[in-house]
Amino acid sequence: MHEEVDSITANIADWTAANEEHTDASAEKAWRHPGILWGVFAIPEEQVRALPESVDGLDVVELGCGTAYFGSWLQRRGARVTGVDPTPAQLRTARRMMSATGIRFPLVEAPGESVPLPDASFDLAVSEYGASLWADPYKWVPEAARLLRPGGLLVFLTNSTLMYLAAPDDADAQVGTELLRSMFGMYRMQWEGATGIEYHLAHGDWIKLLRENGFEIEALHELRPQPGAVDPTYYDFVTVEWAEKWPAEEIWVARKT
Amino acid sequence: MSFPEDDRIAANVAQWTKTNREFTDRDAERKWQDPQIYWGEFGTRDAWLGDVTGLDVVELGAGTAYFSAKLARAGARPVAVDPTPAQLQTARRMQQATGLDFPLVEAPAESVPLPDASFDLAISEYGASLWADPERWLAEAARLLRPGGRLLFLTMSTLAHLCTPDEDDQPIVNRLVRPLFAPWETRWEGYAGAEFHLSHGDWIRLLRANGFAIDALHELQAPPEAKTHEYYLVIPAEWARRWPGEDLWECTKR
Repeated sequence: MHEEVDSITANIADWTAANEEHTDASAEKAWRHPGILWGVFAIPEEQVRALPESVDGLDVVELGCGTAYFGSWLQRRGARVTGVDPTPAQLRTARRMMSATGIRFPLVEAPGESVPLPDASFDLAVSEYGASLWADPYKWVPEAARLLRPGGLLVFLTNSTLMYLAAPDDADAQVGTELLRSMFGMYRMQWEGATGIEYHLAHGDWIKLLRENGFEIEALHELRPQPGAVDPTYYDFVTVEWAEKWPAEEIWVARKT
Repeated sequence: MSFPEDDRIAANVAQWTKTNREFTDRDAERKWQDPQIYWGEFGTRDAWLGDVTGLDVVELGAGTAYFSAKLARAGARPVAVDPTPAQLQTARRMQQATGLDFPLVEAPAESVPLPDASFDLAISEYGASLWADPERWLAEAARLLRPGGRLLFLTMSTLAHLCTPDEDDQPIVNRLVRPLFAPWETRWEGYAGAEFHLSHGDWIRLLRANGFAIDALHELQAPPEAKTHEYYLVIPAEWARRWPGEDLWECTKR
């Protein structure tokens, strides 16, 4: 490995802390939510239409599922979900929620970079702030391609390229309007004061990587908050005012050929 | 009866008549004589076009048709389409001077008087890609191409547009100064023409809706030795070394 710090280990530590601080406590509300929501501004799927119209009967793998609330929404709609995440604390929360709600599906402790599941066994791969941001795209995208059946769909949400360019180095600071770093060479990023390591690609690089792994590009949804959206309280890196003008988050949709 | 689209096309013709007088007429000689194909203001050279020998090519918003001239030199059969008579006059003069002969068609890219499925390659390099209505010209490009034909177009990058100040002739800045969630059509103070700037998501949606598969988005970086263009000053070379000043989309008609 040429990397100075292993991002998988770093991100398990980061998400163990985040679980203690926030995601364990917020899992109940997320799991109980009747709708499918996208991103920190909780934009309903009915507005975005990034997922197939029906997921009923689909084999779904969620890469970087965390407490698996997103998977639970799909399971409730008839999908057969498998949640994959490398952080034991997050999976413990997911298991507790399964007992509480009776919504049960397999959970696999593994990073998005290396998933111990068979080839061509899923119709849909999703990642909502999961592998999409915290796994190495040059490893997790090939895994998604391997796991999907021909014709299967990959849908993932991550921070926008514009967010990456305009976010201050300080992990706790809010995104502004100044371009603070070059777009060329964007890839691995550790914000100042952060434990975790993120991965950000330029749009052209996402398209290239997806194409190289046999995906056809179907859509890039650049998310805008709904009227009446409120500033996020925990993931408070961006305000509604900013996101009204520029997408803070984007969803790629690509089909395995 | 006059339509807003006619007014807009007329405004762009007026703008390019002026630009031709100021710059593109005198610049045509150099560009026509140089056989090298490169992309954008900073001269990015790459093999994205591949071998064009024997290909039927339509250039949408060809201006003085220097790009078509380079393709003709490389063995393609280009047809250059542009709505501005002054630029086509320059192209005709250069055809006589160089002996490179190919059809020139006076028309806006929104409505091209050429038959369906008659081209293998459609090109727009700072042409229809920036100054024509994307809903209309992409539909035209799709109609003109044969199945399996390719579309390559270069325009100012979405990011560069977001960093362009309102004031005329001001170079772009290292700051987001206009929203991405905004109408595509943009008019500038002191500039007659109208431009169209789309987000990457909107380009993908429109391309897909017109039957194109997205092959690549090349976000162009100015090379270390690049200098700011002598006439088109809006993108400083220094800026374009850190962020893409130009986007080149590569697509295939299915």
